[in-house]
Amino acid sequence: MPSPPATRRPLHARVLLLLAMRNLRRHVRRTVLTASAMIVGSALLVFTFAMGDGSHEQWIDSGVRLGEGHVTVERPEFRVSRRIEDRLPAAVRRAAEAAFAAPEVAPRVVATTSKLTVTGLASSAAGSRPARIVAVDPAAEAEFSPIDDQVIEGRYLAPDDRLAAYVGVELVDSLDLRLGSRFVVQAQDAEREIAGQLLRVVGIFRSGVPEVDQMFVHIPLATAGEWLGSAGDVTNVGVVVDDSTAAPGVAAQVERALAEPIARGDARVMGWREANPALAAAVAIDDFGNYLVQGFIFTIIAFGIVNTVLMSVLHRRREFGVLRALGLTPGQTGTIVLIEGLTLTAVSGFVGVGLGLAFTWYFFGDGWDISGLMDEMTFSGVVIEPILHPLVRTARITQVLLFILFIGAAASVYPALRAARLDVTEAMKFDR
Amino acid sequence: MRERPWPRIGWRNLARNRRRTVLTALGLAVGFFAVVFMIGWVRGITAELVENATSLVSGQIEIHHAEYRPDRSLYDTLGGREGLDVEALLRTIDADEAVTAAAPRVYAGGLVSSGEATSAGMFMGIDPEREPALTRFLDELVAGRLPEPGRFEVLVGDEMARQLGAGVGDELVLVGSAADGSMANDLYTVAGVFRTGLVEFDARTAVLTVGDLQALIYLDPDRIHEIAVATADPAEADAAAARLAAAIDAEGREIDVASWTVLNPVLVDYVGLAESTYWIFIVIIFAIASFGVANTMLMATFERRREFAVMLALGATPRAVVGTVLSEALAIGVLSLAFGSALAFPLMVWWAAAPPSLEWLFGSVTLQGALIEPSLRVGHHPAGWFWAGLGLLLTAFFAALYPAAKAARVPPADTLSGL
Repeated sequence: MPSPPATRRPLHARVLLLLAMRNLRRHVRRTVLTASAMIVGSALLVFTFAMGDGSHEQWIDSGVRLGEGHVTVERPEFRVSRRIEDRLPAAVRRAAEAAFAAPEVAPRVVATTSKLTVTGLASSAAGSRPARIVAVDPAAEAEFSPIDDQVIEGRYLAPDDRLAAYVGVELVDSLDLRLGSRFVVQAQDAEREIAGQLLRVVGIFRSGVPEVDQMFVHIPLATAGEWLGSAGDVTNVGVVVDDSTAAPGVAAQVERALAEPIARGDARVMGWREANPALAAAVAIDDFGNYLVQGFIFTIIAFGIVNTVLMSVLHRRREFGVLRALGLTPGQTGTIVLIEGLTLTAVSGFVGVGLGLAFTWYFFGDGWDISGLMDEMTFSGVVIEPILHPLVRTARITQVLLFILFIGAAASVYPALRAARLDVTEAMKFDR
Repeated sequence: MRERPWPRIGWRNLARNRRRTVLTALGLAVGFFAVVFMIGWVRGITAELVENATSLVSGQIEIHHAEYRPDRSLYDTLGGREGLDVEALLRTIDADEAVTAAAPRVYAGGLVSSGEATSAGMFMGIDPEREPALTRFLDELVAGRLPEPGRFEVLVGDEMARQLGAGVGDELVLVGSAADGSMANDLYTVAGVFRTGLVEFDARTAVLTVGDLQALIYLDPDRIHEIAVATADPAEADAAAARLAAAIDAEGREIDVASWTVLNPVLVDYVGLAESTYWIFIVIIFAIASFGVANTMLMATFERRREFAVMLALGATPRAVVGTVLSEALAIGVLSLAFGSALAFPLMVWWAAAPPSLEWLFGSVTLQGALIEPSLRVGHHPAGWFWAGLGLLLTAFFAALYPAAKAARVPPADTLSGL
């Protein structure tokens, strides 16, 4: 008797999905408990990263604004020598300023400044202290740096100031100066001679960073030009960009625009990570701690998922036996289990991410004031503000979602293999 | 028969589904490991911070003239303008049982010039005999040796040496404002180069002998700015500072004796803040882990409804059923504690002895003026670890309360008749 040709109809994916879903519903309490762990874990993950990224962005912003910006152009030797003869040639300065103003870069740039920084000695009748003298265009610097807002007495430099100095509070104290006092700064000039300059204190600031308050003196660029014989030259052209992640892109653009002076050895483009390795290290150490804690938490959650899915597999040996007897391949039985685990993880993980975002935004959208826990603290030249602002980046959320899916897949592999390797005859025996 | 069988029943149930027991215990064990490790790591970082803040350059206790801090004026020397008998003061300080070293210091600001380049500097006058016992920054020099008294020798930081283009044997001009108001300057030979890792310090500091610096800035030999003191353990510094203040009659002589907790209060705050994070770790990690235990216990009790019904039908009290389930959960807890400890403690001992390097990840960081090296240094914290263990057992216990209550409420007749 001719039998119809044995055609294996491909089992519809929808059927596999249906079977997997049915199983999650079978033990609602178990499913809910496992899902809760995942929801809490993912919400915590999103919250931690939003707060972490937010505070890192604040550290970076605070660090680069007191320094030379997210991206800075300077002579290659300047970073080490800090000497005035390693200032930027006037043509390179103009090229760098043009590169930062170019249409591809300009939309990301928040502030630009060109300044001359030298180390010297500040002296008064009370003694001498090493000082870092920063010669600036007052209007541009006021926009670039927060230092003009940190005035505690007097005022910041004004565009037509001459012989004026804006001095850190600890330097003022140790030189026994007050508003209106005169003091002398000495440094090596463009001719390599020691040159002195009399200045008058017009303003006193407190940044909170000891290194800055002890050493920094802001003076007008024109004054420095006359004092050091450097005319209008600067040592750095730097920019602040709207988000620190934009810095490498901006640096690459500017590098292309300045290819010629860079090849001549007249210029070098530096991102904040390179210019401020201690800050980059602080961000890395904090992220490392976060990754470790999250790694541990998700390992624990993964054990929970393995446990739930594996138990549901072991309880359904007969069911899988029947499915196999009806013609499902080992691959298809395994797939059911994989779908089950992945759905459980994905749905609860995504719900957790959503809840985490809503929670972060609702409760901490305006910043989380932890000043009750700690005073203002500084590290590596950065003030840590006691108010944390969350920051949510699309890239970070994508990373979190992929990580959750990975955990779900990894945790379902073993149970899926168990289901696929089932011995049909054993499973169908009627011994309970 | 007075012995209660409930704990034993609970223990036996663990073996009924070994795979499930092991998975649950592993979840808890990872949680325990995580807490032990994080506590150890935070402990290691804070210990390193305090150590570096109090033994790299600064002492654990610093003794100044009462007016010296925070302005650090050249004229505010110990004992005022007349100065005092430094040797006698050092003898009194050395006599304290907690003090391991003490050394005099003189400070001044000035310029250092190599002829080709000039850099602003802080001059630090030290006693080459006493200083190495107190601080670590002169223990291993990058090059050369310590300066010898009366030979016009200077030791500079590696960053300053680089900026000045100077090496051992080169001559430097030191210019500073002297105590009589004049500009003082003299020629010195570089005897050696040091490196602390604190970039600002290495770029600004030139070290001379106390006598040479006093001669440069016209300060009498009896006038010094500071005596730095080391104790065996930073924790002893506060008590030692109080004893020293009494011993040298600090109040009567306008002397300020300050321990590191007074000199660097923010560091103390930071250590406190770091220690409080232990609790956050413990709560978060075990909260997540408790879901796993609750899940397992719920499954286990659900499967054994008939067994509980039989127990209740035979006269066991609901309390006894609760006891069985809770002892099962506690047994899982003890098992996890054993797993977790076996995993965590050998690693802690190993890493405390030989911290793995994290240089691939980040460079060194300075926090509140103290250096942190890029290594995964862990410290021991038995009290914190004890709380972690207790946290684990409590987690297992509380996560099983609901399943236990469910088990105790199984209706015997219905369950047995309805299968």
